[in-house]
Amino acid sequence: MKSMYSLLKKDCRMMASGKFFLVAFGSLLLYTLFIHFGYLNFMEDNADIYPVYLYDPAGTYTQVSPLIHSVTSEEELNKVLAGDAGSGVGIHVKDGKPNIVLYAGTQKVDRHRADYALSLLHSGSEYKTETIGDNTPEMKQRREITCELLFIEIVAVGFLGIASVLFKEKQMGVIRVHAIMPLYKSLFVCSKVFLFLLADLVFAVLMVLFNVGFQEAGGILPAVLAQTGILSLIMALTGFCCAMLLKDFKQFSLAYLVIALFTATPVFLSANTAIKMEWIIYHPFYQVYMGLKNAFFGMPVTSPVYYIGAACVIILLFGITTAAFRKEMEKEG
Amino acid sequence: MIEVKDLTFSYGKDKQALHGLNFTVEDGEIFGFLGPNGSGKSTTQKILTGILKGYGGEVLLFGKDLKEVHAQEFFRKIGVLFEFPYLYANLSALDNLRYFSSFYPKEQLRDAGEMLDELEFKKDFLRKPVSTYSKGMRQRVSMARALISSPKLLFLDEPTSGLDPAGAVLFRRIIEKERRKGTTVFVTTHNMLDADLLCDRVAFLSNGKMKALDTPRNLKEQNSNHSIVVDYLYQGRREEQKIEIQELKAGIPFPCDELLSIHSQEPTLEDIFIRYTGRRLS
Repeated sequence: MKSMYSLLKKDCRMMASGKFFLVAFGSLLLYTLFIHFGYLNFMEDNADIYPVYLYDPAGTYTQVSPLIHSVTSEEELNKVLAGDAGSGVGIHVKDGKPNIVLYAGTQKVDRHRADYALSLLHSGSEYKTETIGDNTPEMKQRREITCELLFIEIVAVGFLGIASVLFKEKQMGVIRVHAIMPLYKSLFVCSKVFLFLLADLVFAVLMVLFNVGFQEAGGILPAVLAQTGILSLIMALTGFCCAMLLKDFKQFSLAYLVIALFTATPVFLSANTAIKMEWIIYHPFYQVYMGLKNAFFGMPVTSPVYYIGAACVIILLFGITTAAFRKEMEKEG
Repeated sequence: MIEVKDLTFSYGKDKQALHGLNFTVEDGEIFGFLGPNGSGKSTTQKILTGILKGYGGEVLLFGKDLKEVHAQEFFRKIGVLFEFPYLYANLSALDNLRYFSSFYPKEQLRDAGEMLDELEFKKDFLRKPVSTYSKGMRQRVSMARALISSPKLLFLDEPTSGLDPAGAVLFRRIIEKERRKGTTVFVTTHNMLDADLLCDRVAFLSNGKMKALDTPRNLKEQNSNHSIVVDYLYQGRREEQKIEIQELKAGIPFPCDELLSIHSQEPTLEDIFIRYTGRRLS
């Protein structure tokens, strides 16, 4: 316990001298300002989302909403959808039945968009829109963007933060001194990972309180913190391991670029755009990202397989990291 | 204190670093381990300090097989000074010492301030970060870190490196003082003066093999040509003559008006090292 306390105290000072807390606070401030004064205003200005295009050769629907844009051919429908791949919805009326047509890359029908488009076909209260959540558009946007920024913060800043502290210690040579100290070497790993986990959890709480709101926070925080914890542990251990195996921060930056490219990019593309990747469900970060996103929308992951898998990954990473740490201690001065 | 039998170590298939070393270090002895870079000194020290595993042969420390000792108990008994002063640059000397000493039981700790005082550390710098220290000051803090836990066995790697002559004298005095308290000291060095002045016995290591092991005095005597060179004046001319020590029994065996100087032809430890290993130390 005494050793752990000493390690935690020293790591705290290392993080403070490396301006980690300042960077995290700056990020929190920046994200909050962006959400409140940038993103939400932008989304409000672009509230006329989901342009709906109707191709109804038989003229089945005569009284449609003025928000619907009619097209005269199937080719024209495909053309406008291709140009509006992000949000456009097409309705092709065949044999009197409306068929939803989305951009070719989107195979799964976006229920929200489809429902909205179909509601425009019917006047008055003829069409009963399915309710798929009680969020206002603003709340939905708040939750979405907070989730995305939190994910980026943990993947990027937490990962780089632990590596920068470790590279400093490597440069000072003090890691080697710990090799001859009467302490359990795994405590050195635990102390750093614990502090970064704690920092990420505090960051997540503040992000949710400031950007989703105090009233909504209570309902989603436990699930959000669980997902943040899983992601934070994975990123901190990966960052620790990379810092031990790679020679300097320059090499680490290159590795980080590769990791970011292969982890964050496909996850964001798959989760937020029409780009479809069959294999993405096997991508561990996609699962964690979706877990976080679902937590933000009050639908926490309940599958034990997910948590067992996450625990196995964390244990495996901890083993690899401790071995890499021991290897580093053996190195020459 | 230390007993090493047929110690071997390999970093890979074709990278045999140690080829069957055999030596013992007695309690309270200062033992010098001398060798050029790549000779296996650091590897041996890493094995003895429990950092490197997977060695062949047998290593007994404190009478127990190193493979079977309880790591935490073992580390509590040893102190290690590395070749470079590894310290937290953002912390002060006192904070560094407080941090590293926090891993040891309180009852075996010495006072950090007193330690630094003994090492003639400048008081103005006690609370300043290590990043503002000179190399000599960092080395003093590192020495204090190695000694603060009152180790029974002290490993010193190039202890006087980075110190000015006065600092080197001070360090040698402190090492002597530790030995008088009963601490066993294992010194790894290139510095022949340190080895000669400090060590009770020295071992010469080259290419992972032990080439010689004895006291500095014995090594010098065994490798001496037992002669002296006399510089003298005779009939107004300055002359020099080499004579065997045996010849001296009957006095100076040649006529001279005035003796100017007598030079012992005793080889230095470095000369002996070259003789045994065919290599220079640095």
